[in-house]
Amino acid sequence: MTSVSQRDKNATYVFSSRPRPVESRSKFSGSPTETPQYGNIMYDRRVIRGNVHSQHMLPAKTTMQAADIQQQHRFRRRSVEFMRSRDHVWFKTHDNLPGRKHVDVQTDSYLEELSNILVTKDIDSQTDRFLDRPATPLFIPAKSGEDVATQIEEGELFDFDREVQPVLEVLVGKTIEQSLLEVMEEEELACLRAQQRAFEQLRNAELAEVQRLQEQERRRNEEKECRIAQQKEAVRKEKETAEMIAAQACAQQFLSKLFPAVFASLRRHGYFYDPVERDIEVNFFQWLMAEVNNTLEKRNSARLLLDTIIHDIALERRDFFKDLEAELVQSD
Amino acid sequence: PTIPPTTSEPTLDISEMTGVHIDPSRAPVAFGRLAIPELFAQLVEPDAARRLRALASLCDLTHDPERLYQVVSEGFLDQLEVLLKDGDAAVRTRTCELLHLVTSHNIARQALLSSPLLARLSQLLDDPSPLCRTRAHRVMNSLALLPAGAKALQALVPKLMLKLQEEQEEKEEEVQALLLSTLSCCSRLDAAPALSHRGVTLIGRKLSHACSNIRREAAGAMMALSVIVIAMSQVCEAAVLPVLADLLRDQDVDVQANAAGAIMNTVVITTGKHQCLELDVLPVLLELLSQRKPDVEEEQRRKALVLYSLRALTSLAEAPEGRRRLLLQLPLLVGRSEPPEEDADIRRAARTAVNVVTWTP
Repeated sequence: MTSVSQRDKNATYVFSSRPRPVESRSKFSGSPTETPQYGNIMYDRRVIRGNVHSQHMLPAKTTMQAADIQQQHRFRRRSVEFMRSRDHVWFKTHDNLPGRKHVDVQTDSYLEELSNILVTKDIDSQTDRFLDRPATPLFIPAKSGEDVATQIEEGELFDFDREVQPVLEVLVGKTIEQSLLEVMEEEELACLRAQQRAFEQLRNAELAEVQRLQEQERRRNEEKECRIAQQKEAVRKEKETAEMIAAQACAQQFLSKLFPAVFASLRRHGYFYDPVERDIEVNFFQWLMAEVNNTLEKRNSARLLLDTIIHDIALERRDFFKDLEAELVQSD
Repeated sequence: PTIPPTTSEPTLDISEMTGVHIDPSRAPVAFGRLAIPELFAQLVEPDAARRLRALASLCDLTHDPERLYQVVSEGFLDQLEVLLKDGDAAVRTRTCELLHLVTSHNIARQALLSSPLLARLSQLLDDPSPLCRTRAHRVMNSLALLPAGAKALQALVPKLMLKLQEEQEEKEEEVQALLLSTLSCCSRLDAAPALSHRGVTLIGRKLSHACSNIRREAAGAMMALSVIVIAMSQVCEAAVLPVLADLLRDQDVDVQANAAGAIMNTVVITTGKHQCLELDVLPVLLELLSQRKPDVEEEQRRKALVLYSLRALTSLAEAPEGRRRLLLQLPLLVGRSEPPEEDADIRRAARTAVNVVTWTP
């Protein structure tokens, strides 16, 4: 808010502060932390109003006694009241003392003469005889604006060589920078391409390797398959031969027993026969058997006949005895 | 006459600002970010000359990555499709050139691959104007170098094979070289389509071309093809191996490297091994291996050659005849596998070769 500056020891003291409202505080107010009452600056006793020249100016460094201060305060108060009351407009002067005259006196420092008589001066003029209207002069407009003059001092003229240097530097610098960038770009591209090529070559080589290994693998697998197949074939053949041998042995064994068995069975079935025996068997025995049969037949029929006779007799006897019994019973 | 504005920045030439065309072959370029849209607006005009000029200015501008990004991100590439069907050959050629410039950046490549421009471009391969065809091939080639691009171009492989057959009559070496390069890129991804269209025979014929670029590309294509077993047998049947063996003695290092690569792939199968041993390829390979150039850069370039030769020798060593002969040359291989050899990959390859040679059942 407030600032004090002293440029140097000889300069005047400068004080500046931000405008702030003046507080009106009575002497017997309380602590300064209360909300300050702002008074009207027009009625502030501290402010000097009116014409400065007519006032009683205090010298700069007078120490005022307390009584003087009080008297001054009283005077001021009275004058303020007086000013306020507006009575001073119809100010009545004292009556004349005998032998004295009231005279109006100018008390200002610069006196002026007051009088009723006005000093006048008469001046007249008459137009000249009519002259021809003169030709209108050329209208040259009045010079307006300021006149400015220059004096070219030494060394003020534009020095091309010196001025052009920074411009040139910028131009050349930018061009070189741009070209460097482009060259770097191209180099980068070339580098990238070289890298790509290297990768491509490596890839091709590795691909060939992969193919070779694949082919190798395939060949080995094929070989393995082939060998395994061969082996299987061999094993199979071996097994077959073994089987065949076994079968042959078995068959031989079987056949060895076959002959006697065959002969025995044939003999059993009677395919080898003695013709005489056969003949006897076929012819003789047939007749023999027939005869035996006949004989037995006859005997059989005889027995049968006997059986029937016995049966009849038995029946008859039974009937007889039955009749007898009946008679017996009856007679009883 | 002042220098025509070929830089990517808009010039502060006063005469340009007042509308005088300094370079009659280029349309004036607007300032700042209106340059590209304005030029593209000029592309739909009926006058072919104006379109050509606008295209020329566009070609100049697209060297700048910022402009290129603007072209791609604001979707102007689709407008080029109409231009590819244009009646004027020069317009088509310039459009292809523009597309070629554009493919040097990734976003543009992706945008191209996902747009219908690709189909249009393939139609341009049959264009009557040779320059247009060349440019279209260049665009295809730069697209094929990208794996995604190679995948997208797989569908075009039959057509490319047809082109290869046709181009035999023409003298267009650049087109043939580009075609072969594109084919090898596509075949690296999947060799089946190229194979099924008689790839081996067609490319085999190119192996003995006069121009070394074509030989190199053809050998590269052969190497990419012969990764599949069927191709290997086809190569052996088609008697391509003698030609490849000749190429091993070529002047150009890259041709030699690619030929060695093709051989390395083919000798994986037994027929290949036998044929190569008959053709006496072994000493040639060994000699390539034993050569050491004093210059470091040369060594770098020969690295591929050495690597492929080592792999070929490894495969050849699996045949008993090859193994016998290589056992005699063992010190050479061991020398390549020791620390005096700077490159780790070569050392590894040499070590595998040594292992295979000294393997006993």
